[in-house]
Amino acid sequence: MTEQGWLERELKAHGVSRREFVKFCATMAAILALPQTVAENLAEAIEKADKPTLIWLEFQDCAGNTESFLRASRPTVAEIILEKVSLDYHETVMAAAGHQAEAALSKTVKDYAGKYIAMVEGSIPTGADGAYCTIGGKSALQIAREVCGAAAATVAVGTCAAFGGIPAARPNPTGAVAVGDAVPGIKNLINLSACPANAENITALLVYYLTMKQWPPLDQYRRPLFAYGKLIHDNCERRAYFDAGQYVEAWGDEAHRHGRCLYKLGCKGPVTFQNCPVIQWNQGTNWPIGCGHPCLGCAEPNFWDRMTPFYRHLEGVPGFGLGSNVDRVGIGLAAGVAGAFAIHGVARVVSARRAARADGEKPEGESQ
Amino acid sequence: MTHIVVDPVTRIEGHLRIEAEVDGGQVREAWSSSTMFRGIEIILKGRDPRDAWAFTQRICGVCTTVHAIASIRAVENAIGAQPPPNARLLRNLIIGAQCVHDHVIHFYHLHALDWVDIVSALSADPAKTASLAQSISDWPLSSRAYFTEVRDRLKGFVATGRLGPFANAYWGHPAYRLPPEANLMAVGHYLQALDFQRQFIRLHAVLGGKNPHLQSFLVGGMATPVDPDSQNSINAGTLAELSKLVADARDFVARVYIPDLLAIASFYKDWASTGSGVGSYLAYGEYPEGDGAQPALFLPRGIIRQRDLSKVEPMNQEKISEYVKHSWYNYASGDDHGLHPFKGETVPNYIGPKPPYERLYLDRKYSWLKSPRYDGEPMEVGPLARMLVAYASGHPRVKPLVDKALATLGVGPQALFSTLGRMAARAIETQVVAEKMQDWVDEMGENMARRDYRICDNSKWEPSTWPAECWGAGFHEAPRGALGHWVHIKDGTIINYQCVVPSTWNAGPRDAAAKRGPYEQALIGTPVAKEDQPLEILRTVHSFDPCMACGVH
Amino acid sequence: MNDASARRLPESAPGRVYVWELPVRVTHWAIFLSVVVLCVTGTYIGRPFSAGGATTDRFVMGIMKVVHFYAAIVFDVALAARIGWMFFGNRYACWDQFIPLTRERWRGFVKTTKFYCFLRHSFPETIGLNPMLGLLFVGIFALELLMAATGFALYSVLAPIGSPMRVFRFLVPILGGLQDARWTHHVGMWLLITLVLAHIIAVVVISVAQRSDMIGSIFSGYKLIVDRQDGERDNG
Ligand code: HEM
Ligand code: HEM
Ligand code: NFV
Ligand code: SF4
Ligand code: SF4
Ligand code: F3S
Ligand SMILES: [Mg+2]
Repeated sequence: MTEQGWLERELKAHGVSRREFVKFCATMAAILALPQTVAENLAEAIEKADKPTLIWLEFQDCAGNTESFLRASRPTVAEIILEKVSLDYHETVMAAAGHQAEAALSKTVKDYAGKYIAMVEGSIPTGADGAYCTIGGKSALQIAREVCGAAAATVAVGTCAAFGGIPAARPNPTGAVAVGDAVPGIKNLINLSACPANAENITALLVYYLTMKQWPPLDQYRRPLFAYGKLIHDNCERRAYFDAGQYVEAWGDEAHRHGRCLYKLGCKGPVTFQNCPVIQWNQGTNWPIGCGHPCLGCAEPNFWDRMTPFYRHLEGVPGFGLGSNVDRVGIGLAAGVAGAFAIHGVARVVSARRAARADGEKPEGESQ
Repeated sequence: MTHIVVDPVTRIEGHLRIEAEVDGGQVREAWSSSTMFRGIEIILKGRDPRDAWAFTQRICGVCTTVHAIASIRAVENAIGAQPPPNARLLRNLIIGAQCVHDHVIHFYHLHALDWVDIVSALSADPAKTASLAQSISDWPLSSRAYFTEVRDRLKGFVATGRLGPFANAYWGHPAYRLPPEANLMAVGHYLQALDFQRQFIRLHAVLGGKNPHLQSFLVGGMATPVDPDSQNSINAGTLAELSKLVADARDFVARVYIPDLLAIASFYKDWASTGSGVGSYLAYGEYPEGDGAQPALFLPRGIIRQRDLSKVEPMNQEKISEYVKHSWYNYASGDDHGLHPFKGETVPNYIGPKPPYERLYLDRKYSWLKSPRYDGEPMEVGPLARMLVAYASGHPRVKPLVDKALATLGVGPQALFSTLGRMAARAIETQVVAEKMQDWVDEMGENMARRDYRICDNSKWEPSTWPAECWGAGFHEAPRGALGHWVHIKDGTIINYQCVVPSTWNAGPRDAAAKRGPYEQALIGTPVAKEDQPLEILRTVHSFDPCMACGVH
Repeated sequence: MNDASARRLPESAPGRVYVWELPVRVTHWAIFLSVVVLCVTGTYIGRPFSAGGATTDRFVMGIMKVVHFYAAIVFDVALAARIGWMFFGNRYACWDQFIPLTRERWRGFVKTTKFYCFLRHSFPETIGLNPMLGLLFVGIFALELLMAATGFALYSVLAPIGSPMRVFRFLVPILGGLQDARWTHHVGMWLLITLVLAHIIAVVVISVAQRSDMIGSIFSGYKLIVDRQDGERDNG
């Protein structure tokens, strides 16, 4: 977009002359009690301003992604909010509340329709007519339809928004669904899963868009390849021990203290796509496996049901209890069926022969 | 009488709605409601108790860690696992860091804008701001050049015409009282605190792999290995890093947070007699100083009734119960009496208005929060409760600090039972805990010197070693207050799980006897200068540091 | 080939009949050997023991996986070949031997069932597959396909850059994600082992009962057919 393009177009579209606009700026400067110097430059500054607009919605969430966002370091959250984008709505940080907050939201949705980016944190409940999550009396579903429906792109931040996450875990008491399922067909949906999404991936996505003016290529779950294109396992620093066959057997044992592979304690790195081992967390300080705990698979769909029990390589067999184990059940099944076949077979042969002998006259066919 | 609705209450975690009746410039009646439910207690049923910490941790990403701690303690209590000393120290450090971090963010990023007018900061003189800052603290980032830079950055931001999260707020409201210089100083520290929290919380990444939602908890201990002779474990290098992070925190709290709090408080002393609340306080106590079933606690456990600081009553968990008379749940045996958490039920039953709605049915059920009661009475929990219990118990560090703060502001202990009291208690606690953390780092070093590598009670790891049926309770002091988890385990599987959470205590609705919850009570009498701008209501509600994801879960 | 009478055993058939052509025998044993290797290496992959020593001279999991993948190639090729041969081979290799679709097969199926339920004394003769074993083989083939599908899904995310195997990523969501694919792959192994054991026992039992050198047939291709006037002593 060129320097003056959008504003000129907007003003014209709304039938506002440039003089009126400069007058508006002066009034606004007065309202804001801005010093004179600022007021003079206001009109020009607004014309130049080309900051993308962000709306951050929170539904059935824990604010973990918001907190994660606060830990962003490249750029920092202060740089993002003050310089890179205009974060027009975010309940956890915004100054206005109640009606004023809602007014700010609807103003942005109206003024920047089709241009803003909606960031959504948390799943959306479909049960109880939406009463499991309301804001300002409106249901999450109503808000999502309105806001995401008119967004240039929607970023589902965290596994709850991307895939339903913990609220959607069995038995999903509130009928929680992912944003993409709640509002099907929205434009440019990007799933930034993980619980929470890594701050550096959130900012990397924004930087990607700001610098390249396009959205990144996605995987089959609509996750950006730059962050979800490779398995944890394939970048893991403990991989050599996996291949060697050297595993931690118990918490605090020698293998654990010396950074061996956590596979046998249930590590889900082999089935999880994310870049944790590469960018790590909190400015590259560490990551879960780095501190000795297996990966939980937090970036994958339904990980609360599919990756649990977390400390076991595989889930047990349904109907055999939580502690059941596929190998034990498998051996039992195989042995049982084999035994049954063997017993049945022997009984069948014996009884056939006995019958044949009883029949007497024609034994040739049966015995010789 | 005007009926006002504040929804969403912002700068908190989650979905809080306040309805109030205002008359003669004061709140006469108030209702606190949380409008989001996930059903995590239901989701936990039928799962492996060793996984429960990861689930409950997702109750909240702001006070991440706290539900994980309460959960592993509850399960350990049930199955009889005994975490070794290293695990206790690692947990104390994690809990302490959470407390410091959460309080700093609360003060600067969630609460400050109720007291600080950003727009007024634009007209501040950086030189005067610098001398104000220097007069209250020797913090190095207090130069005129620094504040000039902050002011210019702010101006540049405002000049874009896009105020982002600061748009449409209450700038210029008559209840703002700080001079422009104090406002500019606060804006500078708002930005510094953003940097501080990001750096300091690396401590959680060191010990827990990441933040939010650390990933090193285990039933029976911690997953972070300890071995001075390994590069994959907590070693001497780690201790040095921890010490550095702890020292930076101590410094920031002592030289920025505490002076800022006192400076701001001195302009708002009338808030020391506003927002008193229910006047009874509950603290479970925190930071075990030894191992075993009943370890000594650095911050004491106890109950204070009706603002009587002369005695601290012992806490008896059997007296805790939760009511759902005004909450969107049903109890099988009827809603008129409470249930102890071991018998607790979570069965949603929404009978409120269909969204979109204007008003809740306030005479019926009106919140997803339950109403916890101790001995049938509402209790306030949180930093104020903890500091009052410690103060009344004569805690050697808390008592002098509280007395000093009271003296500085020229008010008596009664001032503690207030909106301002909550803010002061939070700051004092931050200082006490930040100071204490180094002791735990040192103790880790001593353990290491003895080559004590134990981090987990592996003897209780396998469910086959557990009793066939068992019950456990886990208690914790989360930043926002007393947190308890109760678990019932059968055949290695969770049968029932109940969380009674600080924000449930504080923000819960009326109980079966129509007694208001602490938020509701504290709002009574709060001044309201402009009925369409709920600034003062925000001040008192924010002083509790609401967290609705926690409260409802 | 679809002529039902052609499949009926001549009243006095002489001893040997060529039943299992070379491709059937070769794929049978290739599948058997690869499945044994896949089960052994797969069990290690799912439940490894820790190897001692230095990382540099140990590559236990690595080797197990490589062997698993080579065995998987043998398995997949043999399976594909066998399935292909269902459409090119002789009547005994044909796909319709497995599913009792024709009236003839169905009658045989009922007879065999009666025999197994002790409702009939003599073993109903068939030259090719016993119709009930045919069903067992349907189960076996289905599990083999499941193992191949889940195996491909699991491999699709390990395949090297540029490998055509990466296209099988499309299977991952269909199978409920990688972890579910892994679970299904692992459980599928036990189901397959179960059916194969049943198959082997059945074959041994029938061999003894029928004295048809059935076991030898899958090596040599020939079955020994003895006259037993099928149906005569049907007392059911
Ligand atoms: C009868 C045939 C097969 C059997 C019995 C078998 C058995 C197994 C078992 C038990 C596992 C371990 C699963 C776990 O617990 O994680 C495994 C893993 C695997 N199998 Fe198979 N498998 C068979 C065929 C195949 C085929 C045809 C492929 C195709 C490429 C394949 C590829 C894999 C892969 C990629 C893994 C995962 C290795 C890893 O996680 O690193 N398998 N197999
Ligand atoms: C992984 C192991 C095995 C599998 C998957 C398997 C599968 C099959 C299948 C599908 C057939 C039907 C012929 C065809 O269409 O290919 C068959 C036939 C046969 N198999 Fe196996 N088999 C296995 C192991 C064995 C073993 C170990 C023996 C040795 C005792 C055996 C003996 C036979 C015999 C005797 C027949 C001919 C049955 C008849 O004439 O009705 N199989 N097998
Ligand atoms: N209330 C609450 Fe929490 C805390 N602190 C937890 O127990 O905030 Ni999210
Ligand atoms: S994805 Fe995880 S961190 Fe994000 S809102 Fe959901 S539970 Fe919280
Ligand atoms: S620790 Fe986990 S991710 Fe790393 S190599 Fe082992 S199994 Fe793979
Ligand atoms: S649990 Fe999540 S944070 Fe990374 S290491 Fe595993 S994907
Ligand atoms: Mg509860």
